[in-house]
Amino acid sequence: MNLKELYQEIILDHGKNPHNLKKINNYNKDAKGHNPLCGDKVHLYLKLDDKKKIEDISFEGSGCAISMASASIMTDILKNKNESEVKELIRDFFEMIKEKPDLSTKILKEDEKTKLMCLSGVKQYPMRVKCATLSWHTLLSAIDNKQEEVNTEN
Amino acid sequence: MNISEIKKEFPIFNNKVHNNDLVYLDSANSSQKPQVVVDRIYDFYTKEFSNVGRSVHYLAVAATNLYENTRSSVQKYLNAKNKNEIVFTKGATEAMNLVASTFGQKYLKEGDEVLITELEHHSNYVPWHYLRKSKGIKIVFAEIDQNGEVTLDEINKKITSKTKIIGVTHLSNVTGAILPIKEITQLAHSKKIPVLVDGCQGAPHLKLDMQDLDCDFYAISCHKMYGPTGLGVLYAKKKWLEDLPPYQGGGGMINEVKKEGITYGELPNKYEAGTMATAQVIAFDQSIKFLEKIGIENIIKHEKELIDYGQEILRKNNSVKLIGNPKNRGAVLSFTIEGIHPHDIATILDEDGVAIRAGHHCCQILHDKLGLPATARASFGIYNNKNDIDQLNSSINKCKKIFNLK
Repeated sequence: MNLKELYQEIILDHGKNPHNLKKINNYNKDAKGHNPLCGDKVHLYLKLDDKKKIEDISFEGSGCAISMASASIMTDILKNKNESEVKELIRDFFEMIKEKPDLSTKILKEDEKTKLMCLSGVKQYPMRVKCATLSWHTLLSAIDNKQEEVNTEN
Repeated sequence: MNISEIKKEFPIFNNKVHNNDLVYLDSANSSQKPQVVVDRIYDFYTKEFSNVGRSVHYLAVAATNLYENTRSSVQKYLNAKNKNEIVFTKGATEAMNLVASTFGQKYLKEGDEVLITELEHHSNYVPWHYLRKSKGIKIVFAEIDQNGEVTLDEINKKITSKTKIIGVTHLSNVTGAILPIKEITQLAHSKKIPVLVDGCQGAPHLKLDMQDLDCDFYAISCHKMYGPTGLGVLYAKKKWLEDLPPYQGGGGMINEVKKEGITYGELPNKYEAGTMATAQVIAFDQSIKFLEKIGIENIIKHEKELIDYGQEILRKNNSVKLIGNPKNRGAVLSFTIEGIHPHDIATILDEDGVAIRAGHHCCQILHDKLGLPATARASFGIYNNKNDIDQLNSSINKCKKIFNLK
């Protein structure tokens, strides 16, 4: 285990000053997520255009450095991606967080990929995986128009 | 028994955690087990195992005697008037569910009030919530003051003519506040209201005397008392156990079963349906003996020193904010660090072998009141010492360094 790998500067920066932490106007999809064990909460807002491309994305919530950084980085890199790309990325991210050493996606630019891969160290801390995945599960729920709140324990 | 030597009785401390000595500060969650308790479970299963209370063969009779011996030990430890006032359950949670369910069934109707406190663990709130749903009772919360305590005065203010039962914790698992149970009971009884005490945190750390406290029900979690998991105790005054309906139905709790009707067994069998946690009950006798050997006065003195020292050290640490400032504090120190989420604190401390808990500690009502989504909690047991607190403080400083805090 390596704490330095988990708490990299980029994670700490995003955790401390998360990007896109607001409620956007004119969102057309949203979903809530909750990790009852930690108390982490996230409310995700999405604005998709006619071609199902993400025009804007933001979130509100509170949580640990890992969950805030994950939501911050996620919302940063998903702008201008279309729905099928987003779904592919979600799958790729879950695989990286749980087992694979890195991302296999070709959708992201190199700097975006590097940023997201900073979260890869979480896999050494099984109890913290849920912190990293909460906003991503919530994103999937928003895209699929699920009504009920995402709960990491279900 | 020398309290400074006590750690040696707990085999878990022979192991390293991430190559560090274990600093176990999560005893409010569950305590570690002394060798005598572990051995007793092994010996029972390897040499003496049988189910209890049913068969007449040699092993069954011996096992039944051992099982009932624990009941006598618990009675003595709690200074309960009667052996049959001790009911074994699968945990304190089940003990409180038993009270809510059976008392609710017989005595609560729509509009009746159950008075609990904002300090309560979910296990002394959720069972009452079921009755709110099914019967339309009202749950009233006695509020905490600025010190994280619930005063006798506050309880008095919240009692109305509709209050039918009061549920209070003996010792808060978050603020560490020790509640004046004896006074609360006196007040409640003057208004003919029974009192259920959640003794999960009280039982391992305080002197227990049921006849002195005079409460009607007292729920105990054995795994927090250096005993096995899967076991709890409900102390209830005999008059209640005779008066209330059974909780679960099945083998062992009946007297006579006919197609036309059923009569129930004598106390305490009436409340012990099915095969109980036999090995755990028998091993719990060793936990009681272990506590008695150390002596509760010595435990209280030792833990008071730890709490005082812990408060002193953490108050000096300028980023740490202690949660609650009760006059009488039990072996719990909850805290936050401005700028670091409790879960990040817990992960970083774990790297040093320091085991704490982070979260809402099954007290969401209290955390909402405090305006905190989560807190970090260090809680103590008899095996802790001042070095553990020094290590806690130095690992907290490591968190601050990682998060670039001063």
